[in-house]
Amino acid sequence: MDESNKYVYYKIVDKPGLSIDTLYQRAIYAADKLGLQYENVESDAVHSVFGKDKLIVYSGSSIMRKASGEIAYKLDMETKDSKYRYKIYDFVFTPYKRDRFNNMVAEPGIFIPIEELASKYGKKDADAYLDQLGLFCKTTGDKIKVYIDKAQVIKKLETTKKVDTDKW
Amino acid sequence: MKKKLLLLSFFAASAFVVKAQETPADPPLEISGSVDTYYKYDFSKHSNIPTSFASDQNSISIGMIDLALKKKVGKASFVGELSFGPRGQSQSLPNADGNYDETVNSYHIQNLYVSYDVTDQFNLTGGYMATFMGYEVISPVGNFNYSTSYLFTNGPFQNPGFKATYTFSDKASLMAGIFNDSWNLYQSVSKVNTFGAQLMVAPVEGWTAYINLLTGKLSGTEIDLTTSYQITDAFKLGLNAADFSAADVVGTGGFSGIALYPQVAVSKDVTLGVRGEYFKTKDGSYLTYGPQPGSSVTSFTFTANIKGGPLTFIPEIRFDNNKSENDGFFKSGAVPTKNASQFVLAAVYAF
Repeated sequence: MDESNKYVYYKIVDKPGLSIDTLYQRAIYAADKLGLQYENVESDAVHSVFGKDKLIVYSGSSIMRKASGEIAYKLDMETKDSKYRYKIYDFVFTPYKRDRFNNMVAEPGIFIPIEELASKYGKKDADAYLDQLGLFCKTTGDKIKVYIDKAQVIKKLETTKKVDTDKW
Repeated sequence: MKKKLLLLSFFAASAFVVKAQETPADPPLEISGSVDTYYKYDFSKHSNIPTSFASDQNSISIGMIDLALKKKVGKASFVGELSFGPRGQSQSLPNADGNYDETVNSYHIQNLYVSYDVTDQFNLTGGYMATFMGYEVISPVGNFNYSTSYLFTNGPFQNPGFKATYTFSDKASLMAGIFNDSWNLYQSVSKVNTFGAQLMVAPVEGWTAYINLLTGKLSGTEIDLTTSYQITDAFKLGLNAADFSAADVVGTGGFSGIALYPQVAVSKDVTLGVRGEYFKTKDGSYLTYGPQPGSSVTSFTFTANIKGGPLTFIPEIRFDNNKSENDGFFKSGAVPTKNASQFVLAAVYAF
């Protein structure tokens, strides 16, 4: 929770030796890779990328699993010399309903801060959505780290094992 | 200084997560649907109100079990929706020969179509589809009231055809398609010549409006406005207005009408709503499920939705008032009257 009692996923990462501009360009690269809608702002001390997006959350399992809502969120990345920070916050849930064509679609005009999910949908559903959101935040944080580190992903070549069918 | 408290509890899950903009793994075959059952009592001691469903007087009766299958692989998807029971057979679906006949088996198909996303904005869909016209739908899960409006009952239920939809943004999309010459049937009478179009606009957050057109030489012409506005978290206002003119080969006349749907959530699990409808039949030879040509009916339906998880109880009381005593309502003893009223208690389970 932050000081306003709102859920937030927040990290500060030290990157010794990297300039504010380098980290800023990598943050923009990360925003592109994450598919965010974003705007970027430069000031003397801090360069920032302000992004937003949605994730879909599910209920049920196996063949009974279906999309049951979407959570809108904001994702901000700020860079300084030798460090950056990011936070994922302002989570707002919109439930899905089944339309006449049997597609799950968002209910227009319903916006529920996730802090109020339990009071609107009960603890079981709220916990399930929060679990999915938590996993999403962790995964997104890991991706930001990879994008900003510019880590090279080296694919290990696997040789196909051959067998000699003449010898048995 | 900000507290830097992470949501450690978030990390406990091993649930599915799909990011909206990323390419997710193809979802498994999805199964969803509903079952519904009801009790109705018409205060004239026999069924009077001619709109769809909730038809049986003083009886604990069934609606339908509705089973929908959906699968999407990449950009291609299909939907197959089957229904069993009076609501899902002879009250909303024709048989293979095109008749609504309770005594013989039917195809049970509510939706059967395939769809392909050419791009993120452009979609092509073809098959036997629920109509895009109107506010109310066949599935009880999609309606607030259990009984239905005159506009719903007299409009199309399904339109087989082929349609293309272009989504300009979250705020606007346009659909145009070519459909069979007659509504609801599984096959055309002889041609595929009904044109349909839908413009969707969402002018402000929470407000969506659909302007619909369906016109053909056999099916006639219907223009429809369907809109709803979630004005506050608790208050929603819906509106449906339509005008229908019968095709020349069918007859003269038609209908027009307007229905308002104010609903207010009084608690997490209870929502109260009213449907107020004015339905007017045009002079001519075309007969509706409603008053005689050249007459009208006014209807008020007071409904509550009481949720217990996936189960919704729907108590409802309805008052209809025809313009003339000769428009089809009868008191007990077969005495013509302008008024009809009924009570319904329904239960709908969605899965």
